[in-house]
Formats: sequence, structure tokens, C-alpha cells
Amino acid sequence: MKLFDRVRPAIINGLRELQANKIRSLLSMSGIILGVASLVAMVTVVQGMVGNFRQFVDAMGGIEKITVTREQLPKEQEHLAELSEGITMRDVDRIRKTVPLVDNISPEARVGYERLIIDGRETSTYVTGVTADYLPVAKRWVDPGFGRFISDLDGLNMNDVIVLGSAVVPELFGANVDPVGKVIKIRGRRFTVIGVLNNIEGSGMQIRSANSRSGGGAWRWRNSGAFIPVSTAQAKFIGNDRLSGLGLRIGDAERLHDAVEQTERTMLAAHKGLRDFAITTNEQTLEDFRKTEAAFKLSLGGVAGISLFVGGIGIMNVMLASINERIREIGVRKAVGARGSDLFLQFLSEAAVISVVGGLIGLVVSMGIVALMNYILTQALPTGAVATLDWVIMSQGLAFSVIVGLVAGVYPALRAAKLDPIEALRHE
Amino acid sequence: MPALIAIRGLRKAYVMGDETVHALAGVDLDFQKGEFVAILGPSGSGKSTLMHILGFMDTPSEGSIVFDGQEVAKLEPDLRAWYRSNRVGFVFQSFNLLPRLTVLENVALPLLYRENSDPAANAAAAAIALERVGMSHRLDHRPSQLSGGERQRVAIARAIVGSPSIIFADEPTGNLDVKNVDRILDLLGSLIKEGITVVLVTHDLSVAENAHRIISMRAGLVQEDRTK
Repeated sequence: MKLFDRVRPAIINGLRELQANKIRSLLSMSGIILGVASLVAMVTVVQGMVGNFRQFVDAMGGIEKITVTREQLPKEQEHLAELSEGITMRDVDRIRKTVPLVDNISPEARVGYERLIIDGRETSTYVTGVTADYLPVAKRWVDPGFGRFISDLDGLNMNDVIVLGSAVVPELFGANVDPVGKVIKIRGRRFTVIGVLNNIEGSGMQIRSANSRSGGGAWRWRNSGAFIPVSTAQAKFIGNDRLSGLGLRIGDAERLHDAVEQTERTMLAAHKGLRDFAITTNEQTLEDFRKTEAAFKLSLGGVAGISLFVGGIGIMNVMLASINERIREIGVRKAVGARGSDLFLQFLSEAAVISVVGGLIGLVVSMGIVALMNYILTQALPTGAVATLDWVIMSQGLAFSVIVGLVAGVYPALRAAKLDPIEALRHE
Repeated sequence: MPALIAIRGLRKAYVMGDETVHALAGVDLDFQKGEFVAILGPSGSGKSTLMHILGFMDTPSEGSIVFDGQEVAKLEPDLRAWYRSNRVGFVFQSFNLLPRLTVLENVALPLLYRENSDPAANAAAAAIALERVGMSHRLDHRPSQLSGGERQRVAIARAIVGSPSIIFADEPTGNLDVKNVDRILDLLGSLIKEGITVVLVTHDLSVAENAHRIISMRAGLVQEDRTK
């Protein structure tokens, strides 16, 4: 409170000095303006990209997903190929029993890129055999009013039922048709549509596909596809009990490595030591992305940091010039009772006022930069970036400018505080 | 009644290159409350050094100063600032008003640096001080809009706003035309009625003659101390 009483007149004084030397103040602020604007704009755009990638990784099942796929035997085991049974439903049971870290296991049997036909209309999409566990593993669902997903009973009975991706529906039925209950043909077999998967829409920054068509939009690749019971796929299309792979969801992402190791041991034991499978996670993808993100932040932050540093030098320069011009004023203030600390506060406040005003202007400029970048990215590139400014970044930018202003103001303010009043009053 | 200021054996030496300059070479003086004193002397006589030391802007090399019963010869800078703010007023030859502040703000300036400074109370006190010097009609003007005589009256208002014990006026009429000289000297002289000690520092005998007591200095020593 007491300090504020001392600072308040100093701030008013600082604003007055700013007003009295508009051009000079604006020039001294330019560094801060550019620094804050680039800092805020860059962090915003990078964060937009970050958000987009998070969505991408999430769409691939997130960090808690482990994928087990069929793999060629390594060279040293090639002679044992006859013994390899591939991945089967027995592996699902074994993992379920021996790897408690795994919450859900989704066996997947790829049928292929198939033609779906109804009443003369047709479209092609990937058809995969799955179980009810596909939903939690893929983080998907069926919205109310859009039917249901494949159930355990469908699997037991090898029902000829199919769930469609939301992008497939308009291609097959046209707009505004409820596909549930309709019967479509795949390789001459009749499948009853029982549900439609939820439509994935990207938010924030979007990945735009150059050849995207209506109905799927940005996330078309995730919204296509058709799903039938895995037992149906194996019995009626594939002709054996092999799976193309397993999707595993673990409850605790922190224990990803344990889960991977346990899964590997179980699989090796079950497959009599044959390495006819591969285990992958999204961790590496995420790690690569984190490195890119860090590199971006570091380099852009460096650019912004240099501008802010230059801005600080500009402020210091102007403060020193201002103090030189106002030596007499300093003498007068001291003669009427100002302490060194009063003058220190006065000139420090002046530097802070310059930097705060500069920082605020910088924020306005950053809004312009972000709007411009959004415009350019969405217009010129197939993959556009839509980034939005948030208050945290803006206040951080402003805080940075204040810190720079204060640091830059310390030396000039100390000089003012240490001036000898007699010398200062004699100064012409 | 004890003196407001009693100085004994006051010395001030500056080292300038190889030489040591003795600006004050042993000064003993007493200043009474409500006295109108002139310190007269040519440049280099030590009168400015004496004013700076008595005005708490500088410290002596040797000697003692008792101000209002307190030994103040060797005070820390912040304590000297307190005395400047609370006990002393200055009037300068070149007015030394701050160009960006209004007349009212200039006068209120010494109060800004006091403990528990309150803007409204400061402005009120400044208005009273300006009324005292006959400048109430110019509160919101800038110093550049005033004549020399007016500026010096504002400067006097600034010197008295904090109810000081002593005012030092350093060649207060040096930059004024004849018409204004008497007016300013009269104004300064009238302050003693309020119990303020007024010290006129000048090299001009005709100005010094206005005071009731003239202390003549030469080469850092008091040459003559004459009360009329």
C-alpha cells in the first residue's frame, strides 16, 4: 500500500512523459511491440499445431493404445514358418488372462477394400471384422438414434450385420436417409445395417485433405470403413481363424512399458517362441512430435527473445537519453526532498510504463498477425491452421514485456537515483 | 532562546586533481528563528557551499551543525532528504520549476516526497501557498506561460508549502527585472513574520541590504557579521 502510494504518482508522471515525447516513445517501444507480437503470435500458432497433433494421436487410439500386428518371422526363425499359427482369438484370451494392465482387447480381421452395394448404388471402403471391444479401444461410439454396434451375440451367432462409418452412409444412401435396417451386399452376401459410427470432426486446427469430398470433411479417413463381426469375417470371407491384429487399451498410460513387455512375453510363450508378431505404440509418434514441438518453441521463442532483448536495449537507451535531458529536474526533485529511492522508482516506473504500453500495442499487433496467418494457411495450403489467441499467452506476453522494461529500467533509474543534487542543479 | 542553527568549526575541502580546495575553512555562525539574513560574497567565497551544507544537500568535512537541537552534520542521505522535505525550502536564481507540471503541481512537489502523502491534501496546501504569494489565478498554467517574476513567486510558494524552518534563496533576483526585484525581496522578507528564517545568498550588496543581518564571506571564512 505504501509502495503503491509512492509508485502511483510515478506512473502518472511516466504516462505524461510518454505523451510529451510521442514519437520518441513509439520508437523506443518498437522493439517491445515486435517482441511481444512475435512471441504471442508464434506461441499461438505453435499451440494450434500442437492441439491438432494431439487430436491426430488421439484419433489413432491415443497413447494408451498398443497394437499387435502379424509379422514375418525373422531370418533366424524362417525355417519354423510351418509352426506359426498367426494371431488368433486364443491370443485374445491369453492376454486377457495374463496381462491385467490391459482393459480392452479388440481383435481385428481385415476383410479388404470391398464394394458395398444397395439397389444399384455402390461405394467401396475397407471392411474389418471386429468385436464389441473395438469401440473402447478405438475411442469410438454409436450416437443415440444411429442404431447399435456389433454385440457379443452377433459374434457368437456369426450374424451378417454391419456397422458403417458416417462418411459411407451418404455415398451409399444419399442424404437424409436412415440406413439402419437396410440390407447391403458385399461379395454377394447380404448384410443388415445395424448402426452408424459417430462422426469425427476436428476442432481447433484441422487437417484438410486435398481430395476431401462432402460427407466426410477433414476427418474423412476416420469416418470411412465398415465393420462386421470378427467371426463372420473369418468364417465367411477369410476362411481361417487368423486375425490381422489386436488393439489393446490399457487403463494407465504411465504403465505402457510394463503392458508392452507383459504382452510380448505372453505372446512369445503362446507362440512357442516364434516372433510372428510385432508390438507398436503411439509413443514414438508422440515423441517425434514432442521433439518437433520443442524445436519450434525454442527457435520461435529465440526469435521473440531476441526482439524483446533489443526492445529492452531500446528502452534503456531512451531512458538514459531522457535522464540526461532531465538532470535539472532530478536535481530539483532531490532539493525539495526526494530520496534516491523516490527517483529510482520514478524512472523505473517510466520504463515500466513504456514497456506496458508497448506490450499492449504488441498484443494488438499479434492479433493481426494471427488473423493473417490463419488466412494464409487456410487459403493457400491444403492443410490449414486455425489458431486462436488465448488469455494465458497474451498475459504471458505482457508479463514478459513488463519484465524486460523493468530490467532495462534498472540501470538508468540507478543513475538517476545516484545523481548528486548540487551537480544536477548546476547542470545547464 | 537557543539558535535554530548553530555551526561550529565548519570545514569543507574538495580534492580537485592534485589540489585540495578549502571551500569552508572554519566557520562559526548562529541563525535565529525568524531572522532575515544575507550571506554576501563573491564567487568562490564559500557562500554556496555553506548554503548547500545548511540546506542538507551536502555534508561538511569537519565541524558540527546543531539544527533545532539535533546534531546533523553527518546524516545519511535519506535523513538529509527528510530534512529537505520537512525543514528546508529553496528558492533558486533560475526558478527551477518543472516545465511539464502545472503551477499547482510544482508547488505541491515537496509534499509528494513526505510520509503519508495525500494528493488532495497536497493540492490544498499548494493552493494556500500560492495564495500567500498572490498567484492563485494561475494554478493550472505551465511555468512557461508565466513571467519571470511570477515564476519566482511560484518558486517561493514551493519553498514555503511544507512550512519549513528555514528558506535559502540563492540569488533569487538574479534573473528578474528591476520592477520585480523589490516585490520578491519584500515577499521573502515578509516570511519572517511566520517564524521562518530566511537566508539570502547573493554577491550583490544592494540585494543583501534588504536583510536585517549581513554575513560577508571571503575565502571560506566569515569576514564580517553585521546586524542592522
